[in-house]
Amino acid sequence: MTVDEHAIRQLSEAAVSVELETEEMTLNIGPQHPSTHGVLRLVARVDGERAFDVRPVIGYMHRGYEKLSEVRTYPQITALINRIDWVAGYANEVPFMVATEKLMDIEVPERAQFIRLILTEMARIASHFMFMASYPQELGALTPIMFALRERERVLDLIESVTGGRFHPNFNRIGGVKPAYGAGSTTRKQPQDLPAGFLSGANEAMGRVLDVCDELEALVAGNDVFLARTKGIGIIPPEVASSYGLSGPNLRASGVGFDLRKVADYLPYERFEFDVITAERGDCWDRWWVRLQEIREAAKIVLQAVDAIPPSGPLQAKVPKIIKVPKGETYVRAENPKGEMGYYLVSDGGTGPYRLKIRSASFSNLSILPWVLEGVLVPDIIAIMGSLDFVLGDVDR
Amino acid sequence: MTSSPSDTETTPHPLQDFADSVAAVVAGTAEINFDTVKVRVSPEDWVETHQLARDHLGLTFFSWLSATDWSNEVAVGDALNDEVEERVELLTFVSDLSEGKGVMFSTDLTHDEPRIASLVAIFPGANWHEREAAEMFGIDFEGHPGLDHIYLPDGFVGNPLRKSYPLLSREVKPWPGTVDVEGMPDEPSTENPES
Repeated sequence: MTVDEHAIRQLSEAAVSVELETEEMTLNIGPQHPSTHGVLRLVARVDGERAFDVRPVIGYMHRGYEKLSEVRTYPQITALINRIDWVAGYANEVPFMVATEKLMDIEVPERAQFIRLILTEMARIASHFMFMASYPQELGALTPIMFALRERERVLDLIESVTGGRFHPNFNRIGGVKPAYGAGSTTRKQPQDLPAGFLSGANEAMGRVLDVCDELEALVAGNDVFLARTKGIGIIPPEVASSYGLSGPNLRASGVGFDLRKVADYLPYERFEFDVITAERGDCWDRWWVRLQEIREAAKIVLQAVDAIPPSGPLQAKVPKIIKVPKGETYVRAENPKGEMGYYLVSDGGTGPYRLKIRSASFSNLSILPWVLEGVLVPDIIAIMGSLDFVLGDVDR
Repeated sequence: MTSSPSDTETTPHPLQDFADSVAAVVAGTAEINFDTVKVRVSPEDWVETHQLARDHLGLTFFSWLSATDWSNEVAVGDALNDEVEERVELLTFVSDLSEGKGVMFSTDLTHDEPRIASLVAIFPGANWHEREAAEMFGIDFEGHPGLDHIYLPDGFVGNPLRKSYPLLSREVKPWPGTVDVEGMPDEPSTENPES
């Protein structure tokens, strides 16, 4: 080794061994930030590009539905719970209705159950499309939002044609469903039922949904930047996921093949064939991929249900005019687009619940943030947060 | 699909065996309310119950924790028909991740100063749920890493989900929902709030 080489070596070693002094600072993200899906605030301690002690601050949207439910009658509560997860407003109603019907011992007519099931799966498609639109956008891919939202709009149109509402359908009644079509003074002679052409429209829309899934897959899965931003980022092992109460696609992306549609009986899912989609690693990419596949499965369920729905029949069981729910308590949970949504209902025989505990998926899904964001790079905060697919209305209730 | 408690006396509920086995492991008493298995345990066994549930019963999924305020006097809403022993009933729901069998664990805390050990060491997901129950019901979870308000602003006084807590909007104006119809703005109101 010549003297020069030796000197250079010494110099470079010296340069490496000098620790770069970085100043620790507090980073505040939100509450008003496009990637926070509402009003979520994160406070993180940042050292260089790494974030530590991330503390989510929630509650900006807390509306106190559990307290309000105690002063409402059962039919009035539907209007409140629509607004919990507004991206899939329809799906919020079903478990509450099932819980109430359980206590009242009401058997819902088959056709009404099918309509509930079809619309729940459409709500799932609408919710997952919202994720397909917003998540790549948060990571810089601006095209998928066009494809996903266009198709979501068509699905919402179908939901609207039945329920009269796009975001807050307020469509379920205790004992069945109440379609908007045929209502109103001018068309009183028509029976209230699914609008003409709904089933064929649903068939056609599902075909397009499947096509758009292919397009989205080609657009996003082949995008090197998206892959680099999501693969191996934000890994959640299955045992951590379950101990934090992560549910739905987030849990399945971590390799747990658990789906309440397969094990609970709140809607007649056992009649249809569909796969529970799981992934292995539990990173951001897997969470994206699982949701894409779930859109396909949901479309498959809708296509089968449209074929199998009884052509006619009542949409509403006989219920008393003033709904009083007998004394009792039950917990009914359902596989909502974002995960397990459940209602613990305690009745004392009155016209409103004594206690209604609302278990919303996003609250638990978000509670893992301090764990999963510990020590990640600052730009990955956005990637990981977005991949959990939460809605602040569902977090704050 | 549904079953009332009276049915279970004649034919055992399909979940009865499961409920009994859980109750045997955690030394509690089981009941089935409309297809929901509920196991009552004593407050001293609260943490151990959840540890046994997780490690020996395979109930690894922590769904939620909350409470019910059993009070004879209520500030808003309907009062209970029959008098009850006043208490705060703390509840959790845990489930397995294969067959979807879930258990609701319940324990009774004193009405005035509810206090219990925290579950955060067993299920880290209990952290936020306990913070919520702490501010909403005034329960003190011992050993919790930080019982700050989660939904309510800092400095908020009171526990809104307690039955004694009034609903401010109801104090200002009675709920018109019982009538379900309000007078239109240009119609003379039947009830003048000024008078």
